[in-house]
Amino acid sequence: MKEIRQMSAAGKGALVTVVASLLATPVRAKVDLVTLPARDRVQLTIYNSADLTLVRDQRTLTVRQGQNRLQFSWANTLIDPTSLDLLPRAYADRLDIAALVYPPRTRQLGVWNIVSRHAGPVPVEIAYLASGFSWRAFYMGTLSADERTMRLEGYVRVTNQSGEDYENAEVRLIVGQVHILDEIAALARREHPYGRPPLPRPIGRMEEGIAREVGGRDSDSGLKAAMVQRAMVAAAAPKEIIKEGLSEYFLYTIEGTETIPHGWSKRLPSFTAEGVPVMNLYRHDEERFGPQVIRFLSFKNDKAHRLGETPIPGGMLRVFRLADRQGALSYEGQSDFKYIPVDEDVELNLGAMETVMVEPKEMDFRTDNYLFDQNGDIAGWDETREWKVEVRNARPLRVRMELHRHFGTPHWELVNRGDVGAFEKVDLDTVKYTLEMEPVSKRTISYRVTTRHGRRAEEMGEAAGTVRSER
Amino acid sequence: MKTCYIVAAAIALSLAAPAGARIKLVALPDRGPTTIRLDNPHATLIEEERVLTLQKGVNQVDFSWNGVFLDEDSIRLAVLSPTGKVTLLNVSYPPGEQALVWELAAEDACEVTTRISYLLLGVDRLVTYTAAADKPETRVNLKSHIVLRNFSGEDFERAQVVMDGGVTVAESTAHEETKQLLFFNIPNVPVRKVWTFDAAILPWDPEQLNTNVGIPVRYEIENAEKAGLGRNVLWSGKVRVFQDDGRGGTILLGEDRVDLIPVGEKMKLYIGDSRDIVVTQRKMREQSFNHRRNNAGRVVLYDMDEVISVKMENFKDSPAVLTLIQHIPGQWEMKECNLPYRREEAGRIEFDVELPARGMRELTMHYQRRNVR
Repeated sequence: MKEIRQMSAAGKGALVTVVASLLATPVRAKVDLVTLPARDRVQLTIYNSADLTLVRDQRTLTVRQGQNRLQFSWANTLIDPTSLDLLPRAYADRLDIAALVYPPRTRQLGVWNIVSRHAGPVPVEIAYLASGFSWRAFYMGTLSADERTMRLEGYVRVTNQSGEDYENAEVRLIVGQVHILDEIAALARREHPYGRPPLPRPIGRMEEGIAREVGGRDSDSGLKAAMVQRAMVAAAAPKEIIKEGLSEYFLYTIEGTETIPHGWSKRLPSFTAEGVPVMNLYRHDEERFGPQVIRFLSFKNDKAHRLGETPIPGGMLRVFRLADRQGALSYEGQSDFKYIPVDEDVELNLGAMETVMVEPKEMDFRTDNYLFDQNGDIAGWDETREWKVEVRNARPLRVRMELHRHFGTPHWELVNRGDVGAFEKVDLDTVKYTLEMEPVSKRTISYRVTTRHGRRAEEMGEAAGTVRSER
Repeated sequence: MKTCYIVAAAIALSLAAPAGARIKLVALPDRGPTTIRLDNPHATLIEEERVLTLQKGVNQVDFSWNGVFLDEDSIRLAVLSPTGKVTLLNVSYPPGEQALVWELAAEDACEVTTRISYLLLGVDRLVTYTAAADKPETRVNLKSHIVLRNFSGEDFERAQVVMDGGVTVAESTAHEETKQLLFFNIPNVPVRKVWTFDAAILPWDPEQLNTNVGIPVRYEIENAEKAGLGRNVLWSGKVRVFQDDGRGGTILLGEDRVDLIPVGEKMKLYIGDSRDIVVTQRKMREQSFNHRRNNAGRVVLYDMDEVISVKMENFKDSPAVLTLIQHIPGQWEMKECNLPYRREEAGRIEFDVELPARGMRELTMHYQRRNVR
């Protein structure tokens, strides 16, 4: 009865049906004898870089010796028909899958012609690519009051807009950028699975069928309510997510099975790391961020930071801070971050910070060493600037400050005056000063930079990009 | 309802019917064995056998079609048997009709087996591939399908479908039907995985970007006998690449479209980008020298002294070989380079850099470009 009910529901609901037709019926004559084997197991491998899910649907068919036709049809769900694959899980040497036929004037239907030297039940797997599932990662960080450590919680949210209810499905999530040529949804909506050869349309043939879109179907509220209830019961014991690397991807396998009805999303905890040491880094780089100081929260995806078991998928991190001993929170900011491999540093841009200030001041400017050409025109000169950069930390916390200074030319010489903290040449026209700032403190760095222009630059030779210090 | 057909009609000619008002006395000969030749990706040749009943003397055979697109000038008639007793006199095209008329002279009344060949539009084939890699990504099972698309307006019952390499299968195909046929399935084909950073294409400093810079990853499969292939060219088509997850399942690694691969050449499949290899390239020095001036004192020729620094990090658990491509325009001379390279072109050098698992290597390349204008 269940099979019959499901078949009759196919018109309004999204349903994938497997039909074994054991009669040698002509392809166009549709199906005379129908059996609907139940799903033994279904596995969803969901990608987040593309609208793409690999569905592996295991069923047990009953075949007879000789010619068998296996009809697979779907309605109101977006399946790429060119991705259909049938794999026997037993008796593979006794089953020849001769052809997969997409009969004329039908849509969302494929028929496998199978020659069997075995009679009886055969477990098979039907694999295909479907559209409509998605997942994304997001995070919550809670800083300690001194902002030195953070509790980091990761979540994934899986959404089913496929048109199909998946009950007790094994859910796997793929982290990584997949390269595909065509959108699965577009392939699924094609009138003919592989399109048609380029030519004028045949005379007198009317194309039939209009693509039926996913969605808009009546929901079976009773079924969904039951599913949701089961899901809530399951949520009482958080499920583990098993993570492993495969090729250039990371595969997250959610423990057990999940029931995700069409239209529903499910939030699942991915990981929790307590006491992750974090560094508050404040960066001033006028070329990139303008005059403001940008706050970065940095840590490393490694064992020393109580992480490092797997890469961290990109997502939004909302950062809070424990505001008092009663656990009240204050919101610090949020940052969308990119995929973080194991052992890589993480830098979260939490936005502009007004309580740490940088004020660069040009204290002196002069030009010198003019060269003239044969016409008496200026052919080269030097420009020397004295800079004082004042850094103020108004926060009651120790912070690290990074100052990036750009010279706009590779033809420069630099003299640092006094204590300038840690100094590094970043590239041919950029240097970086790193200062450890005590709570509520002020520091000033001073330097003199000489840039050469015109023929003076040509004559610079080995002196370009050199640095020395003066006390 | 069948609305498209090809009809071969044998007309016993007793009267010279006026053109434009042809009265046809039609005996419809059944279509005999039919071959659909798909070995040319650009055109499909149909060859069908028909038995015609001819009278002694001159006979007209009317070949007409409706609702199908065939290349009129490609239609050929060959007499298979009896040979030497039937002569094709001429071919004429009736006005306003999709038809042609063969005039055949028969020595005696006889049944003649003929083969009619023509290029039929609307029926073709695609080639698709599925490569399923093992977990270590050293071998793939390479499976190929021929996809027969029949939108010709014509149904074919039990036709011989001739595919590339002379492979023939008996298949029926109906108008508007698409059929996927297994072409080959070869296990354990060796595959090489290659990561490539081209400094002319990819951004130099990923730290400056809010998105990950993916390093392109390719699989290389040689169309050679030692790989279990190498018997025929591999036709162009779409390739889907899967990988065994080690637990009885698979994941989709990616897909690509390949051009025709001659025997001995490599199929290069771009499967996606790696975010676990990070390349940061910076120019640390750019200084002109050896200036040569014209009479007005203007520099007309000079040399450049440049230093490039490249940090290559592998965050993967396994080692990787990165192909690093650098471009140095014009005449140049390498002064110092801490890694070996090969000069692929005048202005392009390539490094194969072995990156240890969870490790890092650095390249420092000091070169001088000569006689820059």
